[in-house]
Amino acid sequence: MSGSIMLNWLASTPDFAVPYALAALGLIICERAGVLALGAEGLMLVGALAGIGAQIAIGQPAVSLVLAMLAASVVSVLFAVMVIWLRVNQVIAGLALVFFCQGLTALVGSMADWTNHATEGIGAMALWPLSLLPGVGRLFEQNAMVWLTLPIFGAVAWFFARTSTGLRLRAVGENPQAADAAGIRVTAWRFAAVLAGSALVGLAGAYISVVSTKLWIAGMTGGRGWIAVGLVIFARWSPWKALIGALLFGCIEALIPQLAAAGVQLPQYFVMMTPYAVTLGVMVWVALSRRGADEEPGALGQPYVREERR
Amino acid sequence: MAQAPRPQVNSQQHTQPLARRRYALEIRQHMAWRWQALILAAALLVGFAISAAILVAAGVPADELANEFVMQTFFDGQNFRAVLFQAAPMILVGLAGSIAFRARFWNLGLEGQMIWGAIGATTISMWQIGPENLRLPLMFAAAIGCGLLWVLGPAWLKLKLGVNEIISTLMLNYMAANFLLHLVYGSWKDPKDNFPYSPQFRVFERLPELGAGIGSSIVLAGVVALLAWWLVSVSRVGLYLRFVDANPRVAHANGVPVRRTIYGAVLLSGAMAGLAGFAVVAGQEGRLTQAFYQGYGFSGILIAFLARNNPLAATVVALLVAALFVTGRSLQVFYQVPFSMVQLIQAVIVVCVASSDFFIRHRLRRVGGEAAQ
Repeated sequence: MSGSIMLNWLASTPDFAVPYALAALGLIICERAGVLALGAEGLMLVGALAGIGAQIAIGQPAVSLVLAMLAASVVSVLFAVMVIWLRVNQVIAGLALVFFCQGLTALVGSMADWTNHATEGIGAMALWPLSLLPGVGRLFEQNAMVWLTLPIFGAVAWFFARTSTGLRLRAVGENPQAADAAGIRVTAWRFAAVLAGSALVGLAGAYISVVSTKLWIAGMTGGRGWIAVGLVIFARWSPWKALIGALLFGCIEALIPQLAAAGVQLPQYFVMMTPYAVTLGVMVWVALSRRGADEEPGALGQPYVREERR
Repeated sequence: MAQAPRPQVNSQQHTQPLARRRYALEIRQHMAWRWQALILAAALLVGFAISAAILVAAGVPADELANEFVMQTFFDGQNFRAVLFQAAPMILVGLAGSIAFRARFWNLGLEGQMIWGAIGATTISMWQIGPENLRLPLMFAAAIGCGLLWVLGPAWLKLKLGVNEIISTLMLNYMAANFLLHLVYGSWKDPKDNFPYSPQFRVFERLPELGAGIGSSIVLAGVVALLAWWLVSVSRVGLYLRFVDANPRVAHANGVPVRRTIYGAVLLSGAMAGLAGFAVVAGQEGRLTQAFYQGYGFSGILIAFLARNNPLAATVVALLVAALFVTGRSLQVFYQVPFSMVQLIQAVIVVCVASSDFFIRHRLRRVGGEAAQ
């Protein structure tokens, strides 16, 4: 592999990694509070559609991304009400959310005629002075969202590790009975976690449509939401490990177009299987290393039923 | 929304006895059957009302709705045959979901297993394996075998290593779908017209028609449904499954072969999904096409959920979902409503039914005075 291809590959990696990173981070917030969030695939689609819609109507990427976050949060209220108030099985509720969002986004997208409507995205933002470095300088010419992802990760990691609110959130996911006895409002915290986490998942979806591909196609997330769910297990619910995992997946996905550009002939559809095969491999690796279980939030997937408190 | 008011944990602050009347949420142990049915009916009604509202918003004239759904679908001979036609694979995926969920295994890989079942059946046809009169049984067996093998991996990973089956089965769906594309855009492409589907099956490789335009695949699905019902309700395996579903640890302590039961249920689920693939390629399409599986995996899961994993109920629900599919296709043609509407309506109904469970499992009771403590 020649040097320029290597550099192209590395320079395009963050663009592929950001959706995984943001979605996984959103899921970590949600699951740390004990709510199993399987709806990521659907919420990413909502974010992607809302983002492109706002982009077509307003044309301001920053506004579009914020509106996409809001849209995903609003839709996730449905999920939150189901699993937190009505205590619906979280797997069923998550799946229903995905079907709901897939249907809804395809319907709205085609009715509003947003499909294949190309928009202007965000341009590259050079990170001065690193971008002036000879050769590797172009690694530091990324769009603003890539740079913004790092402080978002920093903030969430700091929130979980260093703040008492973060501790409360984790307590709610670890042992809601004890948290309730300590005066933490389990229901309210879980609601907040679902809404905040979903906003990040929506942002991940909007990144794909508004920043990366700059258009909308029904079902365009293509399983990235599910991969993010797997990534959270790989990262053992830790933000920084999720970032590393996202970069790993970004590397693999970024490699595919580079190989094609270099004229390497690979069976196309087998290449398209790789992200899913890697996810499966990563899940097996986590299971073999037997380090996944101990970090899992204790009450993950269990509704908190106060009336059954003993 | 009904939510528990905070009980007064720190009673020293309340020098007054709690005279204020309030509502408390309680877990209900049991609810009479007719009330449960009433709540379920109300939930379905709400679901249908929301769905109707969405359809009207999407541009279907309100007065045409009832006509499209009820009259056209169930009382028009041709459309009713279309529903039966559509129902066979739907029943099979619904049963596949029910059996796996009974063993507490979230088999979300129904589409992948269905794809492999179809590929298995098509392989027999492509290479003309076996004599003509045995061709269809061989395709049947190949579909079962391939579907079963595609779920064996996740089952083994779950039971041996504890790998989350939700993710593993889903990832295998995407891999199977890409493999299918590899085949139909590659070496399996029909040489006649170069479209991305396999060459057409011969007459003896297709599920025969029974007469009056009713295909035999619905009979196949019905037989499988009866077998599944016998398995979970009458046989010893069904008893084991109920034990495993209730509490695997206690089941193991009572001498139930827990692992074998789970393996059996999950592999059976894969086999049924494979059979659904067979029902589509040999019963409906007559060839392997690139997107025949779309929507079945989700529908299978939803059917199993709505039927509470009961095979006979799953058959009835699958018929209704098939009717929804047929109606969805005609709405697509006549009103340009995208087919994803079907998915949306399914999700709305599941959300309503799942939420209604709350009212079956809880009750609001008015409490007041000292009783509140």
